[in-house]
Order: sequence, then C-alpha cells, then structure tokens
Amino acid sequence: MSLLDTVITIIRVLFAAFIPVCFLAVMVWMERRGCGFIQDRSGPNRANVFGFRLMGIVQNLADGLKLAFKEDVIPAHIKYKFYYVLAPVIVFTIAIVSFASVPFADALVLGGKSYLMQGIPTDLGILWFMAIVGFAVYGIILAGWSSHNKYGMLGGLRAAAQVISYEIPLGLALISLLIVYGTVNLTGIVQYQGQLLFGFIPMWGVVLQPLGAIIFIVAAFAEANRVPFDLVEGESEIVAGFHIEYSGMKFAMFFMGEYVAMFTSSAIIVSLYFGGFQIPWLSTAFMVEHTRLVVILLMIALPLLAYLVVGWIRKNNRNRFLPRESDPDVFEATWYIRLLWAAVILLELVLLIFLIIGAGGAAARILAACLQVATFLVKVTFMCFVYVWVRWTLPRFRYDQLQRLGWQTLIPLSLLNIFITGAIVVVLS
Amino acid sequence: MSIDIKTVERKGGTPQERVYLVEVFKGMAVTFGHFIRNFLDNSKLYVRHYPEVEPEITARWRGRHRLTRHEDGTVKCVACFMCQTNCPAKCIMIEAGERNDGRTEKLPVRFDIDLLECIYCGFCVEACPMDAIRMDTGIYALTGTERDSFVIGLNELLQSESPFTDEEYKKGSK
Repeated sequence: MSLLDTVITIIRVLFAAFIPVCFLAVMVWMERRGCGFIQDRSGPNRANVFGFRLMGIVQNLADGLKLAFKEDVIPAHIKYKFYYVLAPVIVFTIAIVSFASVPFADALVLGGKSYLMQGIPTDLGILWFMAIVGFAVYGIILAGWSSHNKYGMLGGLRAAAQVISYEIPLGLALISLLIVYGTVNLTGIVQYQGQLLFGFIPMWGVVLQPLGAIIFIVAAFAEANRVPFDLVEGESEIVAGFHIEYSGMKFAMFFMGEYVAMFTSSAIIVSLYFGGFQIPWLSTAFMVEHTRLVVILLMIALPLLAYLVVGWIRKNNRNRFLPRESDPDVFEATWYIRLLWAAVILLELVLLIFLIIGAGGAAARILAACLQVATFLVKVTFMCFVYVWVRWTLPRFRYDQLQRLGWQTLIPLSLLNIFITGAIVVVLS
Repeated sequence: MSIDIKTVERKGGTPQERVYLVEVFKGMAVTFGHFIRNFLDNSKLYVRHYPEVEPEITARWRGRHRLTRHEDGTVKCVACFMCQTNCPAKCIMIEAGERNDGRTEKLPVRFDIDLLECIYCGFCVEACPMDAIRMDTGIYALTGTERDSFVIGLNELLQSESPFTDEEYKKGSK
C-alpha cells in the first residue's frame, strides 16, 4: 500500500465513522429548534459557553454531559443482564455500520488509480445496507424482551409486527430501482443519476421511479422508527416502549442510534432517489475540465451567501425583550459575523489556489470531490429536515393501520411498480 | 322529553383523503409555513421570553400568602385555626396567644406556612372568617438554597404587601 492508499483509507473511514456521529448534534438541534419553530415557540436557546449559544447547539453539549455522568443503572429485576446491555449496543453499531457503503463523492482518480469514496470500498452497495439495517430491529426486540417490563415487551412486539410490514415493500421498491440502474453498487447508481433525461432533466431516481420513491421513503420512515411509524416508542400509549427501563448512557445509545439511523436512511434515500453526491447539471468530468469556471462561480456565490446569512444573524440574534445598552446577544452576533467572514476569506484563498492551478490535474479532481461531499451533506441535511418536518406534522399510525398500509397498499403498489418498470425497460431496450 | 341527536359528519372518506398523501402534503405545507416564518424572523414566535418578560398577574392569582391588618395596624387574624383545619396539605402551623388590644380574645403568636408543603389551593383564604389571610402578593417565583428558608413565619407574612387595591381584589366576589 502506498502512502496515498493509506491516506485515502483513513479519510474514508473517518468520514464514514465520524460524520454520522457529528451529524447527531446537528440533527438533535434541528429536531428541537425545528419543532420549536413549527409550533411557534423558540426551542432550547439559553445554554451557553461564555455567552456563546451557537443558536442552541450548546444545549446538546449540556444534555450529553448530563447523560454521560448519570449513574449507570441496571434495574434489579432484570434477569439477563448481558442481553439488556447488548441491545443498545446493537442498535447503535448497526446504525453506524450501515452507513459504510454510502458513497459521499464520485470515484476519485488519483495517480492513475480509482478510489471509491465510501467507508468500505465494496461493490455490495445497497445489499450491504439491506443486510445490515435489518439487524437494528433485533436490538429493539431484545431491549423490549430483556427489560422484563410490560411496556417494554409491548414495544418489542410492535417492533416485530412493524418489521414484517415494511421490510417487504422496502425490498420490492428497491427491485424496481435495480431494474432501472442495473447495478447494486451505490457509486454506480449515483453515477447513473448524473446523466440527463431529454438533455435537461437530471436523471434522478425520483424522476425515473416516482412511485418507487414514495414507497421507499415511506418504508424508510418505518425502518428508522420515526413518526408516523414510531409505534415502538409510542410515548402516549406505552410510555417509552422498548427503552423504558434504560437510563443514562444506555438510553443515550438508543437515542443516538435512532438519529444515526435517520442520517443513514436519509443518505440512502438521497443516494438512490435524489442523485447522491451529483450536483445537478455539473458532472464530475465537466467539473474537472472546467475547474476555473466552477471556481469563479463559487468565488462569486460564497460572499453573496455569506452576506445573506449575516443579515439573518443580525436580524435574529438580538434580544428584543430587554433593550440594553450593550446587548450580549449583539456582541455574540458580531463574533459570529466575524468568524463567518473569516471562513469566507479563507475559502476564497483556497479557491484562489485552485484558480491558479487550473483544470485537468489531481487538484481539480480533489476540488470536484470536495464539492460533491458538500452537495451530498446538504442533500442529506435537507432529507433529515424532512424527517423532522414529518414528525411534527403527522400523528402516529396505529399498529394495525401500519400493517394494513404495508400489506394492502404498499406491497401491491410496489409489485405493480415492478411490472410497469420491467415492461418499460424491456420495450426501451 | 326526546333526546336531541346530532349526527357528526365523518371525515376522511373522499378519494382524495383516502390516498392520504395529498393530505400529508397539505399538512406539511401548513407546518412549513410556520417554520419558515419563525425561522426568518424569530420575533414572530408566540412565546413570552420569561426571565426578561414577566407574566401579568391578576389580583385573583394565587401567589404567596400574606396576613392582613386592620386600619390601625393590628393583626386581623384571630387564631381560630380555620385555615389550619381546612388545609389539605397541612402546611399551616398556628399557635394562639392572649390578645390585649381589645379587639378579640386571641391572636397568633406563631403562624408558620411551609411553602414546600403548600399546594397553593387557596382553601385557607376561603376558610378565613376574618379575611386575614390572602394570596394576593403576586409572588409566584420562590427560590431558596435550603429547606428551612421556605418555612415563613408571622413577621414575613405580615410584612408582605399586595400590589393590588382592595377593589381589584374584591371584584367579582360577593
């Protein structure tokens, strides 16, 4: 292995292992502030470090510290302590590992070698995800069973009932998608979506498979145990369901597992249906050939974007309720604005280097990869927001309603979708 | 007398509603409207920013207790134990003593209220025949670092003033 191989492997693993965990903070924050805004309240915005509140992200730090320093309680009535401890580990590990096959940039060609930019550079792709993610429900069932609690048991039972109603439509929706793409490799799938339909529509999965996309997204919501299919938790009915007997860091593992699973399934949805790392109308080859044009566009767009964000910070990061001579919130805002402009200047300098180096070389490819990573993360963040958005819009499905939806609606629809897709593919080829 | 039957219109039967997705998107449009409005300008949130903006308290709001006085400054309480007897939380402790100012025979020498026990139900106010105990101080936030500081005695109760006038307090009561 050359040095380059090692560096690329380290980057891949770091990305696949740490980005989902880093996004935890962003997603918990997005959930709490987002639901606050949806319900016309402000959400957590008071916790601060030296007066810096980071729009409420510091609250996560406080919550995390609190959970980490809590006593690690195992209730006395629990018989099988091993399974009780194992359950949160399964949920969290599965959620992280299932992200490993998602590509976050196009295959990077450096030094005549092509590197797949995914945690584990394998061709298994979507099969890896399907194989791994199915295990998460065992963690939940195990937690419900080993808690030896009626609510926990009911939560575990519901998880078992839920898994038979969503896994099949999930798989069937995927089959029709695979008929279209002709590959299971996620990098290949996303590269396919970089083409243009009729020369101007990006050939995203959602354009080719609108029905399949709806079925897959609905099933993915059920798979991530999110509203409207969070009947495993059902706090209004069965208190907290499967994690009722868990506290402290073991509860935090379930909590983090849920959010990482949400991140992973957003990444999968984005990769399969919303073009993954592809920037619409800007293919990798185009970016590598026309680096100067891309860089100039970016150098113009960045300050404009920063200007808008600065306006937003000035408008919102001040205290309207207690007019003061020197408002600490305004002081805080001026620092954010300075940091933002510093970041913009730094980025402009980096882009200037790329502008000087120009097109064609390794630098151009790295720049393209960086832009694709950014695009991927923006898309995934938006998809995560959709999860939050749906959670604070819809009521929970009842257990039989979910099964009826799964068996009587989603399975026939996905079978129909397979037939239509198959017919069209046969006719066109 | 016949029972009046009202038929409630059942919703959710139209084909558009049975597809469910259309209604989901409608609902999501509503919530997104709220989100984006508050996100772009957070002054539109319907919340009171509590420590900076304090709630408006009306005269009939049950806050911390106080003992009232006659015009000449003497204590209205006659130590009849009505409030102590009526208290469901058993947080009032009265000790009666002899009264020499000519108004009645008894007066409280000790009148302790354990605010940690108190459930702020206002039964003591209703039970009092002399209108001697009231909960109109408007004090709603009580904090302390030790339990003992929450047991308030006669002096504290007598010293507290009400921010409201008598007319405001008696408005609506008969």
